[in-house]
Amino acid sequence: MRVRSVLNVVAALIVSGAVLYVAFFPTGPLPALGPAFNPTTGAWTMAADAVITDRSLSLPGLQQPVSVVFESNGTAHITAQTDSDLFIATGYVHARFRLFQMDLMRRQGAGRLSEIVGKAALDSDTFELQLGLLRTAQAEWNALPAGDPTRDALVAYARGVNDWIKEAESAHQLDAMFTLLGYQPQPWTPIDSLVIKGDMTQTLNFTDTPLVMALLNKSLGADLASEWFPILPPNQQSPYDPGPYSKEAPAPIQTASAVSALDDQGASALYARLAALPQGLIAQGGDSNNWAVAGTKSASGGAMLAGDPHLHLTLPAIWFQMTQDSPSYHSSGVAIPGTPGVLIGHNEHIAWSLTDAQNQQTFFYVEKEDAARPGMYFWNGTWTPYTTVSYDIPVLGEAPRHLTVKMSVHGPVISERGQTTSVWWAGNIPSQDLTVLLNINRASSWTAFRDALRGWFSPTHNFVYADDKGNIGLISAGYYPQLPAAAQPWLPMPGTGEDDVTGTIPYDDIPQAYDPPDGIIWSANQRQVTASYPYYIGTASNFFDPGYRANEIHRVLSQPGKLTAQDMQHLQTDTRDFLASEIVPVLLHSLSTRQLNSKESAAVALLQAWDYNMGVDSKAATVWWFFWQEYLHETFAPWWTSRHVKVSIGEVLDTLGQDLEAWTLNDPANRTFSAPGVGARTAAETMLAAFRLTVSKLAANHMNVAWGQVHGRVLDNLADISGLSYGPRAERGDANTPLAAGGMPSDHGPSWRMVVDWGTKTFEGVYPGGQSGNPASSWYTNRVDTWWAGGLDPMLTAQAAASSTGARTWSLKP
Amino acid sequence: MLVATAFIVALVGVLLGVWWTPFLAGAAIGIVVGRPAAAIPLGGLSGVMSWLLPLAAIDVRYGLGPTATSVAAIMGFDHQGALPVVVSLVVGGLLGLTGAWVACAGRALVRPEPR
Repeated sequence: MRVRSVLNVVAALIVSGAVLYVAFFPTGPLPALGPAFNPTTGAWTMAADAVITDRSLSLPGLQQPVSVVFESNGTAHITAQTDSDLFIATGYVHARFRLFQMDLMRRQGAGRLSEIVGKAALDSDTFELQLGLLRTAQAEWNALPAGDPTRDALVAYARGVNDWIKEAESAHQLDAMFTLLGYQPQPWTPIDSLVIKGDMTQTLNFTDTPLVMALLNKSLGADLASEWFPILPPNQQSPYDPGPYSKEAPAPIQTASAVSALDDQGASALYARLAALPQGLIAQGGDSNNWAVAGTKSASGGAMLAGDPHLHLTLPAIWFQMTQDSPSYHSSGVAIPGTPGVLIGHNEHIAWSLTDAQNQQTFFYVEKEDAARPGMYFWNGTWTPYTTVSYDIPVLGEAPRHLTVKMSVHGPVISERGQTTSVWWAGNIPSQDLTVLLNINRASSWTAFRDALRGWFSPTHNFVYADDKGNIGLISAGYYPQLPAAAQPWLPMPGTGEDDVTGTIPYDDIPQAYDPPDGIIWSANQRQVTASYPYYIGTASNFFDPGYRANEIHRVLSQPGKLTAQDMQHLQTDTRDFLASEIVPVLLHSLSTRQLNSKESAAVALLQAWDYNMGVDSKAATVWWFFWQEYLHETFAPWWTSRHVKVSIGEVLDTLGQDLEAWTLNDPANRTFSAPGVGARTAAETMLAAFRLTVSKLAANHMNVAWGQVHGRVLDNLADISGLSYGPRAERGDANTPLAAGGMPSDHGPSWRMVVDWGTKTFEGVYPGGQSGNPASSWYTNRVDTWWAGGLDPMLTAQAAASSTGARTWSLKP
Repeated sequence: MLVATAFIVALVGVLLGVWWTPFLAGAAIGIVVGRPAAAIPLGGLSGVMSWLLPLAAIDVRYGLGPTATSVAAIMGFDHQGALPVVVSLVVGGLLGLTGAWVACAGRALVRPEPR
C-alpha cells in the first residue's frame, strides 16, 4: 500500500510537472500555454482590444487636452493645441493600433528579429547590420540639434508610443502577438522611427542589379548583354520631363566590357546571398502611379491630383490614415506607423503623392586586397585599413552571435566570398527625410514644397503636387550619384578609387516640371527624362519601369476635353494593357496568313474581339497573358539554356519584354529570334510557335478560362500567418496596367489610392486593409471591399468626422 | 464550503491575471476533500470553471468569435475557432486537476486512509 502511495505521488508529480512546464514555458513551436491562453492576460484580450468606445484618459507628457475622433471606418482625427501634443497623441494612437507591426519593422531594420523568432532570421539580421540602417539612423539622430522641430517631433512621438506600451502592459492589453511570441516590447526611441524610415528606403531602392548585370555579362557575353540590357530603354516611353535640359548630353556610355572570371565568382556568391534574403529587403522594381491635372484641364477649374503608391500589400497595411491638426500642421492622409507625420496627403493648400523614381542609388565596389596586408584595402594609391564595428545579435534559445562589420570608404563590406565587395548605397547617407516631410506638411506653395524637397536624399521619389491655386508640379527629388565618365556603374566596379561616386546631379537639373503647357503631369516609375538628358541616372535594366502604365496614363490624360475626379478614379483602376494594345494587332496580322486548328482559331477570335482590358471575366486576357509569357520564353529561353545563365530569366523579364516589344514592332528580323538550337527565325515565326504552345497548354490544363479564374490577389499577413491573410481573390489587371496586379497571385499593388480635386474641394482615399492590426477587430479588413471595387472614401476633416455617424471620441488629458 | 472558497480564489486569481491559481485551488481541494475520486474531478471542474467564466464574460461583453477564429488561425488551424476555446479550458482544467491530484497523493502518503 505504501509503495502504491509513493508511486501515486511520483505519477502525480510527473504529470503535474509536465502540465506546469507546458503551461509556463514554450515547448517546440508551442507558446507557454498559460500566459498564451488564459482568459485575462492571454490572447483573448484581443476581444476587448477590438472594441473601440468613447474614452477619457490621462496621457503623461501632454501640455493641453487633445481630441482624437475615430470615424466609423477607423480613420483617426487628432486635434491638439500644441505641436508636441499632436505628436504624442499620434504616437499613442499608432501604437494603440499597430504596436506589433511597428515592433517588427524596427526589429527588421535594426537586425533584432532573431531575438524573437530564433536563428531562422539570422541571415536577415546579419545582412541588416552589415548594410547599416541602424548606424544611419543613429547618425541621423545625432545630427539633429536640441530644439530642432524634427527632434522634438520624434521625442514626442516616442513618448506617445511609450505611454501606450505602459498602459497596455498594466491593463494586459498588449497585442496578442507579443503574448503568443512570449516577449514584451522594449520602450520606443526616436531612433526606432528613423530605422523604420530606413526600412522603406531599403525596400524601395537597395538593389542587386549590378550583380545581376555582372552575371548576365559573363554568361551572355558583353555584346548580347549590352544589346539586351541597354542604358536607354529600347521601347517608346512617356517621360514627364521632356526638357530642354541645362547641359549638353555627354558622350554615350560604353556598355560592352567583359567581366572577368573572378568578378563573376564574387558577384555570383553575393547574388545568391541577397537572393536568399526575405522579401522586401532588396528592391524589386516599383509599381506606383501619380499624376496631376492643372485647373485649365479640369472640369472643376481647380487642380486635381491622384496618387496610388504600389507596395507589398499586407494586413495590417503599411499605412495608417489620419488627420493632424495643431498650430503648425493641418494635414490629412496616410502615415507609416512608427513615423510621426503624414507621408502622402494634403493640407489646406497643397496635395502631394509619390512614386519611386527608380534611379540607381546602389553601387558595388570590389576592394583590392593583399594577403600580406590583412585588414587593409588599396584605395587612391595607398593601403587603407578597414574600419570595423561589432554587434552581438541575440538569438532566441541560443547564445548571441557576434558580428564584426568591415567598412571601406565606399561603405560596408557585404561579401567576402570569392572577393571582397562593399556597397555604396545612398540610403546609408544620413538624410533628414522626416524634416522634409514635416516641412512638406506645412508648405502652402510650389516654392515651399520644392525647397523642402531639396533635403530629400533617398529613396529618390517622384513627388507630384497640386495646389488650391490651380498649379501642378512634379519633381523627382533625391540623390542621383554621378561617377567618372569611364566608370560602369551598372556592374560591380573596382574599389581602387578611380570609379568612386563624385557627387550628385545639381538640384536644379534633376527631373522636374511645373505647370506644363498641356496641363498634365504623370509618373509611373518610368524613366523621367528623354535620351537627351545629360546625366547618367540608371539603365533600362531593372531600375526603371518598362513604361506601359505611364504610357496608358499619358494616353488617357492627353485625350481632348476636361477631366473630372471620377476620371481620375477610373484611371486608377484602368486595366487596359498598353503592351497588349501594341502587340496583339501585330500578332493577329501575323496569324492571319497561317493555317490554324479550331482551338487556335477560337483563341484568335477572342483576341480579335478584345479591348485589351484585363478584366476578371475576359478569356482573351488569359490568352494574351500566357501568350506573352510564352513568347518571351520562346525567344530567350534557348539563349539562357545554351549560355548557362545563372540569373533566373524571371528576374529580368521586364527588361527583356521591352526588347521583345521593340523588336516585334520595329525589328522583326533581330538576331535574337534565331536562338541557338532553333535555327533562323523572325518575330512572326516565333510568335506563331509561342501562340501554338499557348493554346495547346491552355487546352491541356483546362485553362481556357476567364482571367479572374487564373489570376488573383492576396493581402499577406505581416507576420506571415496564412490564416490571417486575405485571399487569393479573383482580381483584374496585370503587371502592365495602371491597376497594377503583377504576379499569380499578385501580392503587390495600390497600397493607397487618393484623388484630390481642389476645384470642388473633394478629397478621397482608401487603402486595402483597415486601421487595426488586431485580426479580431472589424477594422482589420473593413476597407478591403471598397478598395477592391475601385471605390474611395471621403477624407473628412476632424470637424466633419466628429459629427459623422458612428464616430467615437477619445479625450486625452494631461 | 471550502471547495467553493477554493474555486472563488481560483476565479479571482485568474481575473487578476494570476492564471495558475487553479493549480493552487485544486491542491486546496485535494487537501480538504482527500478522496481522489471526488477531489480530482472537483479540482478539474474548478480549473475549467475559473477559466470558463471569464471567457464567457468576454463573450457576453465583446464577442468571442472573431478572436477565437483569429487565435485558431495563428495556431495554424484556420476557421477552427472552437479549438483555442477547448485548449484554454483544457489548460485550466489540467491545472486544477493536477493540483488536486498532487495534493491527494501527498495527503495519502502522509496520512493514509484507514482500511
